[in-house]
Amino acid sequence: MATVAASPTYAGTAGTPRTGIMDWLTTVDHKKIGTLYLHTALFFFVVGGVEAIIMRAQLMGPNGKLVSAEVFNQLFTMHGTTMVFLVIMPLSAAFFNFLIPLQIGARDVAFPRLNAFSYWIYLFGGLFITIPIFFNAAPDGGWFAYTPLTGRQYSPGQNLNFWVLGIQILGISSLAAAFNFATTIINLRAPGMHLMRMPMFTWMSFVVQWLIILAFPVITIALFFMQFDRFFGTNFYTVSAGADPLLWQHLFWIFGHPEVYILVLPAFGLVSEVLPTYSRKPLFGYAVVAYSGILIGFLGFGVWAHHMFAAGMGPIADTVFGVTTMLIAIPTGVKIFNWIFTMWGGSIRFTTAMKFAIALIAMFTIGGISGITHASPPSDMQQTDTYYIVAHFHYVLYGGAIMGIFAGIYHYFPKWYGRKMNETLGTWHFWLNFIAFNLTFFPMHYAGMLGMPRRIYTYDAGQGWELFNMISSIGAFLMAPAFLIFLWNFFRSKKVGEIAGDNPWDAATLEWSIPSPPPEYNFAQIPMVTSRYPLWDLTHPERMADVPHSSEGWDEAKRRTGEHVTKGGRHEADVAPMHIESERKSAKELGIPMPNPTIKPLWVAAGILVLFSSLPVMYAGKHAIAFMMMAVGGSMFLGFLYAWLTTPLEDAH
Amino acid sequence: MTRTARPRHHSAIALAATLPLLLAACSGQYPNSTFTDLTDLNRDSTSLWNLMIWLGIGVFVIVELLLVFVMIRYRRRPNDAEPEHVHGNTKLELTWTILPAVILVIIAVPTVKSIWRFQSGAPANALQVDVIGHQWWWEFRYPEQNIITANELYLPTGRPVNFTLRSQDVIHSFWIPQLGGKRDVVNNRTNHLWFTPDSVGTRAFNGSCNEFCGASHANMRFRAYTVSPEEFDRWVAGQQATAIFPAAPAPAPASGAPTAATPVAAQTPPPAPVAAWVFPADQLPSHVVPTTPIPAGLTFAEDVLAAGDAQRGFEQYSRSLCIGCHRIRGNPSSLGVIGPDLTHIGSRHTVGAGLFPNDARHLALWIKNARKMKPMSLAAASMPTIGIGEFDPLLKTSVTAALGGLTDQQIADIVAYLMSLK
Repeated sequence: MATVAASPTYAGTAGTPRTGIMDWLTTVDHKKIGTLYLHTALFFFVVGGVEAIIMRAQLMGPNGKLVSAEVFNQLFTMHGTTMVFLVIMPLSAAFFNFLIPLQIGARDVAFPRLNAFSYWIYLFGGLFITIPIFFNAAPDGGWFAYTPLTGRQYSPGQNLNFWVLGIQILGISSLAAAFNFATTIINLRAPGMHLMRMPMFTWMSFVVQWLIILAFPVITIALFFMQFDRFFGTNFYTVSAGADPLLWQHLFWIFGHPEVYILVLPAFGLVSEVLPTYSRKPLFGYAVVAYSGILIGFLGFGVWAHHMFAAGMGPIADTVFGVTTMLIAIPTGVKIFNWIFTMWGGSIRFTTAMKFAIALIAMFTIGGISGITHASPPSDMQQTDTYYIVAHFHYVLYGGAIMGIFAGIYHYFPKWYGRKMNETLGTWHFWLNFIAFNLTFFPMHYAGMLGMPRRIYTYDAGQGWELFNMISSIGAFLMAPAFLIFLWNFFRSKKVGEIAGDNPWDAATLEWSIPSPPPEYNFAQIPMVTSRYPLWDLTHPERMADVPHSSEGWDEAKRRTGEHVTKGGRHEADVAPMHIESERKSAKELGIPMPNPTIKPLWVAAGILVLFSSLPVMYAGKHAIAFMMMAVGGSMFLGFLYAWLTTPLEDAH
Repeated sequence: MTRTARPRHHSAIALAATLPLLLAACSGQYPNSTFTDLTDLNRDSTSLWNLMIWLGIGVFVIVELLLVFVMIRYRRRPNDAEPEHVHGNTKLELTWTILPAVILVIIAVPTVKSIWRFQSGAPANALQVDVIGHQWWWEFRYPEQNIITANELYLPTGRPVNFTLRSQDVIHSFWIPQLGGKRDVVNNRTNHLWFTPDSVGTRAFNGSCNEFCGASHANMRFRAYTVSPEEFDRWVAGQQATAIFPAAPAPAPASGAPTAATPVAAQTPPPAPVAAWVFPADQLPSHVVPTTPIPAGLTFAEDVLAAGDAQRGFEQYSRSLCIGCHRIRGNPSSLGVIGPDLTHIGSRHTVGAGLFPNDARHLALWIKNARKMKPMSLAAASMPTIGIGEFDPLLKTSVTAALGGLTDQQIADIVAYLMSLK
């Protein structure tokens, strides 16, 4: 905290509250940044969904003529890229932002301005990679962009430039955010919240931050190679200069497989919050669920080559990666059973959030089982690059990640906006979505095992695929109304939803102890944490007596705060500082120093965008303009970064 | 069609059992099903699938039943007591850690056996076939037989075949779903795939490219014909022969050969007097007959086509752009190696890499404007637009005589010539 060096000139002026659009452009509040992430990701969800629906319309029958081959290739490339980098990761980031500080009893993330920067660079990267599709110039090399097809020789257009640069920009966002959240979780936990007391969402998020920190540098390097090949004529992937095309594949999947866990673990964390709450029981086998998350993270780095069983790596590699891939099923299966036994013996309320969480268990199981069938390389040779794989990873990423995120949205909406989402509309959304999801993706198992390759814009009649494609397309068309119901519910409930109160679901973790929506400072008084389920300590302390890690924490709390805390002497304010909205005090009144809003991170991100945008201009041969853009972007980046770094985070206090 | 139905049957049931709704659908005809017992490789992958899918269905049923039970039994009722706060159960948790591990060992053992069986080199007596992937067609070479052909593969039954896979441009993936798993075709690497079509008679199969390879990835198809060793020898004899034009009157074909025999070249020492053979067109099952529609706006007058003269076509072909890319053994001017070998193009059943039936009309349209018939890119070496007045969708310009364009009549002549190259 920059309390010592703060110059008085900054004080006061920077703290002026802003309103309207400037409030959003300058915010460094983790909750508002979470909101920005949420809305932007929902926007890109619509974009990616429309891309998918056009594809399904094309494939509805044989010899489809709706779009051309080149448009179709852009559609599936952008559908995959959008859903992975612009939808699921940012939706997870929305929850990281909103929830992690609330769950660990902190007032913000460790680096609030870096957090704002992460968002802006994500938005810019997302637009950079998405806008070309409106000009028929979108990336068309598939989301894993295998070289040499994506090299300059075979893809001379600008299309792939937007992909390689866009993913690079988005990587900056992910890495900055990951360092931020890892630091936040390590350093900003409230007194008494040791690791084994962290809510499971924060646990899974913690694992994910490390996956991002370790996996994204690999794709960054791989992309730099590709970038240099395409723009500066190097030969990292040039096969005519002797390059081995498998270099890209290995680098991509060393990133790409952990990426799968980056996508699903946050959703696992969310359902691990939802299931106990609506079952009124603690998470079954908390420690095992946490450890299995860590184990999935570790093993996730040792299975990448199972994406390449058909590439001809040889029997030793096939054997090793086949076996490690099977191993990863064990911790995943453990999670499934722990969730079911969390519900076992409970008192289950079937709210919309709970329905989505249960759907995750049911659907992810199917994705896991089909995953085993291609962990075996000889079997995978019949499955890889067919529609069976498309079915599999949609059961993992839609049935897993998206279902979990929907559960999270319905569950945390009241905390986020102070109002509940409409349960009737939620039920409609759930069932329509559940049916449409299965109609769309289950038949793809059949199409794939009956010989249909993926990424084809057309297929011949009489191949035995017509029925399955027809059903898939109908399912995809049904997904649109399901999602529209959700959007309607989401935006309407913000205004007219039932007032939620602090803890509408009778949940147990810290974020539910504060008002909804939370005040800017989150906690008027930093809570002292004495158990995994602090709020249930209050409602039924007798049940919590034997909870592991729930008593020894008192000593820790004592040590950290230097206060005298006795087990019998806790009172409500220690654990759950409740607030009444009318009496809510501002941070200033409470004397809580809050970071000042600033627009500098936005400008730094804009500088990076201009820098990267100069490369396609250069590629088009306009060197003078490109050089100018580099100069402008570079000075924006350096200038605003300097201003940012020399401005204290908060007013002197 | 003699094949035992058992393993395939099992797989179909296993697949169908996962969703009874679609059971009815599974009684239909699936010409590209991956569940066959036609080759040793496919028997391995099918038996592994059977093992895994039954175990998987077991796990699925247990998980979903448990879930449904929990949902019904423990749904909230009015006046529910506060549930017991159970935090875990070591024995249970050990059970569902160890049990999956045991299941995985059961899967891993046959998996590893199969990996080593099929990746330790093909049997010594295997037929060698070189597969070369191009954007967007397949080149097949039989180095021992000295045959080069395109998009149509002939495999003798009962003998292992060892594919040597290489790529000319980008990564492709070679797959005949009914005969065995796929293997990528990777630049600067030589991959191998072998299997033995040992439980199959004379049949036709579809093959496809499975690694996204650009604009016409979907149109990079091929055909594979499993034939008896005797038919294979006759096919080899026909393909080895040099195309001679004008065609000499064919020697009387052996009984049962439904297509015209290829004359044996005068300059090659006459091999065993076997009549050439190709997979009979009238026995092609419907799933290997392409249904790709002809793009709108592309026509060829029937009367012009019918008036095509092979002799004129031979002369025209021999002084056109064609010879720069295509080779016809026996035509001394046609020496190109970029495009498919056309020596016996008249004996093939498809044109455009499995995209259209190889008849005079489709071949004429293909020559007239291939880039409209099949999406291509300027980055790949692709068949140019030949028909005068045709708009080239890639060059965004119309073809003229000065650019090497040909009239419909000239194209019809060339078609007559090419179709005579049986």
